[in-house]
Amino acid sequence: MKIGIPREIAARERRVAASPDTVAKMVERGHEVWVQAGAGAEAELSDEAYVAAGARIVETALELFGGADVLLKVNAPQETADGGHEADGIKEGATLISFVWPAESAALLERLSARKVNVFAMDAVPRITRAQKMDALSSMANIAGYRAVVEAAQHYGGFFAGQITAAGRIPPAHVLIIGAGVAGLAAVGAARGLGAVVRAFDTREAVREQVQSLGATFVDFQFDESGEGVGGYAKQMSDAYLEAEQALLARHAAEVDIVITTALIPGRPAPVLITEEAVTHMKPGSVIVDLAAARGGNCPLAVADEVVRAHEVTIVGYTDLPSRMPRQSSLLYATNVYNLLGELLGPDETFNLDKENEVIRGAIILEGGEMRWPAPRPKPAEPAAKPAADKDAADKPKPSLAAPKPSARASEPRSSKGHGHGHGTSSAGSTRTTAIAVAVLSIVLIGLGFVAPTEFLRHLTIFLLACIVGWHVIWNVSAALHTPLMSVTNAISGIILIGGMLMVRGGEWTAASILGMVAILVAAINVAGGFLVTQRMLRMFRR
Amino acid sequence: MSEGLQMMAYFAASLLFIFSLRGLSSQETAGQGNTFGIVGMLIAVGITAAAMLFPAAEPVAEVAQAGAEAAQSGHLGVALGMLGGAVGIGAVIGAVLAARVQMTSMPQLVAILHSFVGLAAVLVGIGSYLQPPVHGGADLVHLIEVYVGVFVGAVTFTGSVVAWGKLEGKIGSRPLLLPGRHVLNAVAMLGTVTMGVLFAMAPGTEGVHWLLGMTAIAGLLGIHLVMAIGGGDMPVVVSLLNSYSGWAASAAGFMLSNDLLIITGALVGSSGAILSLIMCRAMNRSIWNVVFGGFGTEQPKKKPKEGEAEPQGEVQAVEVDEVADMLMAARRVIIIPGYGMAVAQAQHPVKDVTTLLRDHGVDVRYAIHPVAGRLPGHMNVLLAEANVPYDIVLEMDEINDDFPRTDVSVVIGANDIVNPDALDDESSPIYGMPVLEAWKSDKVIVLKRSMGAGYAGIDNPLFVNDNTRMLFGDAKDSMSRLLSRLRELNDAS
Repeated sequence: MKIGIPREIAARERRVAASPDTVAKMVERGHEVWVQAGAGAEAELSDEAYVAAGARIVETALELFGGADVLLKVNAPQETADGGHEADGIKEGATLISFVWPAESAALLERLSARKVNVFAMDAVPRITRAQKMDALSSMANIAGYRAVVEAAQHYGGFFAGQITAAGRIPPAHVLIIGAGVAGLAAVGAARGLGAVVRAFDTREAVREQVQSLGATFVDFQFDESGEGVGGYAKQMSDAYLEAEQALLARHAAEVDIVITTALIPGRPAPVLITEEAVTHMKPGSVIVDLAAARGGNCPLAVADEVVRAHEVTIVGYTDLPSRMPRQSSLLYATNVYNLLGELLGPDETFNLDKENEVIRGAIILEGGEMRWPAPRPKPAEPAAKPAADKDAADKPKPSLAAPKPSARASEPRSSKGHGHGHGTSSAGSTRTTAIAVAVLSIVLIGLGFVAPTEFLRHLTIFLLACIVGWHVIWNVSAALHTPLMSVTNAISGIILIGGMLMVRGGEWTAASILGMVAILVAAINVAGGFLVTQRMLRMFRR
Repeated sequence: MSEGLQMMAYFAASLLFIFSLRGLSSQETAGQGNTFGIVGMLIAVGITAAAMLFPAAEPVAEVAQAGAEAAQSGHLGVALGMLGGAVGIGAVIGAVLAARVQMTSMPQLVAILHSFVGLAAVLVGIGSYLQPPVHGGADLVHLIEVYVGVFVGAVTFTGSVVAWGKLEGKIGSRPLLLPGRHVLNAVAMLGTVTMGVLFAMAPGTEGVHWLLGMTAIAGLLGIHLVMAIGGGDMPVVVSLLNSYSGWAASAAGFMLSNDLLIITGALVGSSGAILSLIMCRAMNRSIWNVVFGGFGTEQPKKKPKEGEAEPQGEVQAVEVDEVADMLMAARRVIIIPGYGMAVAQAQHPVKDVTTLLRDHGVDVRYAIHPVAGRLPGHMNVLLAEANVPYDIVLEMDEINDDFPRTDVSVVIGANDIVNPDALDDESSPIYGMPVLEAWKSDKVIVLKRSMGAGYAGIDNPLFVNDNTRMLFGDAKDSMSRLLSRLRELNDAS
């Protein structure tokens, strides 16, 4: 097939949907790859690099759109400068893979539908473990979170890490991160990496541990509503909740130097979390980086794509953070797109759209121009604790929905956690087994009492008592010392040496005494070897 | 030498042995425990020799009688010479072995030592039969004791030799499954019992032929039983043989009417039995299944897994440089050693990598699965030899819950003990066995020589997980190169 990668025309967009690496892979699979001239220029991916990877450079967008069977883009098709629309140039029946935002792009979808195009949205890929390699939302959010910290540092007049110098003390920066999703956690990590003191807030209790694992403190918020929504996203909260949230965040904002907010709700305007009032109480020289500026902003004072100053606070409203690091973003995005493409292709390298495939079903928007979106809603998230599922539970791994950051595979182990304990015996069964064992043993012992000579019984008594003592003593041995235990018991069992001694008693060269000598020799090897090797091992442990 | 003194001495020795085993419950008291054992043994042997040298006026106990006889016949000196000579030679051999064995060969050493006890038990049994006991005569009970003692001893002897062979690699680790092996075993047992009856009926010492015949059969039985067990189950086999050697000593105690032998044998026997139980629980298989069932024998038929969303994927290989970056950036790392690490003798570079990472501020710990290696506690010994501090070496139960909070898990030469199929694939031969849940950590790095299957010969889906990277090559070589790279990174930062 002919796969086309055009130059992005969106304002401030500097990314490109393919890297020389992914181009090479596509060529290797037998496809023809067309790259529009200069597509990767702003991402420092030159035409020459693409050609070396096996691509053909196409001069105009018209030619590319018109001839490609598959179009890989970053942004959805949009209006061109001369009043036309990118979508109009797409070949009929072609396939488009890009960010689409279907909930807000009804008009676009109509245009595409008219051209009978298949559309797959990178923003609709389900966030399950298996699809992590196709998750462009996460890869871009990761970059955004990191870059947010870099932008904050640029506008902040102080250090991130504290220092004590001869000229005075340099205090560390205190940073508040609002929203601990992919971007938020990336920001936490980057800020910590620079040495700041970081605290993070999120309405979902489940992310507390993730925040703490990065070395930041989790801001405690007591309110009765749960913040956990479906699909792991936060849900829109009641007004009272929102007010309490704003009050808490205002208090924290006044204490910190830098606030980075990342709170978004799918399909709705961003919640207002840092009110104008709150900004007035912030320390002069503080910085706010608002990653939600494109959707109205978590701070109403933020202006999209600009840096403004209000109440002596700098407010950064850039909406193109990944584009500010276009090379790295492009490389990651290209991999995500390539992986999704791979998921859609069958072994003969043509499209094989299996609706049972969770990823395909989730990401498909239009099929041959027909609407396929949205996919049936997923079930609400299971609690994060391991469900003690019984053995008859379904084999299918459930989609993992605990957080937008895809968490571990949800097919939980079905055996109960019986570490070190027997598997499968119910307590009723084992009591009965014990009872039977005791009964049998009693009969045997009583029987012996009648039949056996007293000498034997005496021995038997000692034997059984010793077994019981041994049983109790050995259970306490720690697993790490099992090998020395074996060598010590080995050495001790060399006590059979005494048996040999009894046979050389006569001092005569009889068969018995010869056997005895050999027995003594062999047993002595055990005794000496066993104790000495144990000593050697234990010395190693003591160090 | 009074009888009473001898009895007290035996009692003291027994107590010392009990305390010796108790000492092994912690690293701090373990050395002490070993010393108790040595002292107990010296007392036991010493007092027995003394009883022979200085028989009591009215000897009652076996030993004293023996001494009296010897003194009477004037051959005491010869007797002592025999004793001294045998002990001396044996002790020297033992000491040399102990000094020179490599820790990675510990399983083999333990196996071969078990065989010596078995051999000694057989010899003592036969000898005791040929030299009738001083009092009580060759009554039925005594004959049974002799017979059982020799049987257990013979099985232990040959079984241990085969175990040694398997561990040393001289015998293939694949289980030898003769057709009708259960029938063979049953026939052997039947033969043993039959010969036992004939043996008991023979007058005087004429039954020695039956005894020797049974010894041969028991020997073959021992060989057969252990040959039928796969190399991966060796930890259980070695523990079992440890147990048998104890029972053999106890049986000798019965036949010689020696309480110390009985007690000591029982202690050792229970010890081995408990270790075997622990191993079996750790593999979630019953002891019968291990000894007779022969798991890992039928090639498991891989049923296509219905409803499984994850198709068999490809492994993602990685190079040392990337691994080094991952480790330096991690906050928490767990290392999972397996038998492969022992084979490659990689424990020293592993230790050096650990030290470097810990100095760099990374939290590094080790997770030891109960049946990792070929001997209970095998991995611990290897790590101790490499000077890894034992407080960062944790058991499976202590550390399994920490994998979700771990950044990188490093699996070195281990396979079945980190196989997720054990938890959720009912058709898997290892289903039900508790495993180390390495796949729950953020990233997993597996060091493996190649994509060949592990001892159980089954696929491991861990290798094709998205968050797993394979570092192919000899473990020691890979770790050494990793160490160099880490040092480079460390110096540069």
